[in-house]
Amino acid sequence: MEIREDLCTGCGRCVIVCPVQAIKIIDNKAVIDKNHCVECSICYRNAECPVNAIKSRRLKWPRIIRNPFSDVIGTHKLTGIPGRGTEEMKTNDVTNRFGTDEYGISIELGRPGVGTLLKNIELFTTKFSQIGVEYEEMSPVTAILTEDKVNIKDDVKDERVLSAIIEFKIPKNKIDQVLQIIKEVEKEIDTVFTVGIVSRVMEDGSIPIIDILDQQGFKVEPNAKINIGLGRA
Amino acid sequence: MLAAGINDKYPDPRKRLIRIAEIMKKHNPTNIMREAAWKISPVITAAFTDIETVKEITQTLKEEDLGVSIVISGLISEIKEAVKEVGLNMHTVHLSLGTFGKKELLPSKKTLEITTMCGHHCTSSQSVEYYVKLIKNGKISVEKAAEKLAKPCVCGIFNISRTIKILNELVNQS
Repeated sequence: MEIREDLCTGCGRCVIVCPVQAIKIIDNKAVIDKNHCVECSICYRNAECPVNAIKSRRLKWPRIIRNPFSDVIGTHKLTGIPGRGTEEMKTNDVTNRFGTDEYGISIELGRPGVGTLLKNIELFTTKFSQIGVEYEEMSPVTAILTEDKVNIKDDVKDERVLSAIIEFKIPKNKIDQVLQIIKEVEKEIDTVFTVGIVSRVMEDGSIPIIDILDQQGFKVEPNAKINIGLGRA
Repeated sequence: MLAAGINDKYPDPRKRLIRIAEIMKKHNPTNIMREAAWKISPVITAAFTDIETVKEITQTLKEEDLGVSIVISGLISEIKEAVKEVGLNMHTVHLSLGTFGKKELLPSKKTLEITTMCGHHCTSSQSVEYYVKLIKNGKISVEKAAEKLAKPCVCGIFNISRTIKILNELVNQS
């Protein structure tokens, strides 16, 4: 994004809508901090700039990688769906992506509303490489991992995004190791992250993972996303 | 949501999604994805204020048997009972363990209750503070402010009724 200095009247509407506070008023003009901007286009679409000073410019590599991780309108070439996530459990009744002996894990770095450098992903992936996890092939994060799935590709490491979701699945017996890694990374990371666990529901309607997580000191929120099994292949 | 490579092979996948959108719209959602997006998005979303309405919609979707995946977000205990009453079982859950890391970077809990309604975080925390100030100064109604805050959420999942409630709490507490 760019704000035309010659047009800007310094009204501040763009400052208010920016989700990562990357726009400041300096000398009565709105100025975008290019390092902090995540290229989400929210100012462009929602600021209602009275003088049309906000301009969307064609981004060059590697900065262009910020957009699919930040702009909900941008459909990622790999996933084919809007936003930075995948279908994950939303279509599990059709795809059976997550079986009864597995858990799915999603770790969303930078959420809610803080943002993250892509290199923060390595704090997790270097550790996950030691226990072995199966990354979601259609995830935008998987696409920027090195071939050995340990690191982030060098050219995009320093790019800042609104959030990046590490999605993978594990056999049930690895859940303790994953939870331990989450505890370790929490102490060293410079941003926030959210954690989600995908689990099949037992035939009697129970969700045994909730008790397992509780025993490990992780409190499950009372609300969740629930696939109610109406899809079919 | 249509499962890519599977449900989109139906002869009429878009018709099925639009039918789901029509059913949801008929039940007076507090917010719903704008109609222009129904024609292109692989997922249709809407927000409701009470579980009874969600139950009615679930019943209709079960009867119409469109074969498309349906995901409900909300309290696990409520949804479990609601789907059971219409003769369904929960299939898969996505549980949240909350937020970790540098939580000191986050805004107040009440502000977050509003901004996190948009899962893509398109609504900023300072816009919440801005509209709370305008409401207090009598420059905008709570209802209009909630609509403004919901505007960046293109999915239409931002719960406007709940936002009105939280904005009232924020205005009265400070």
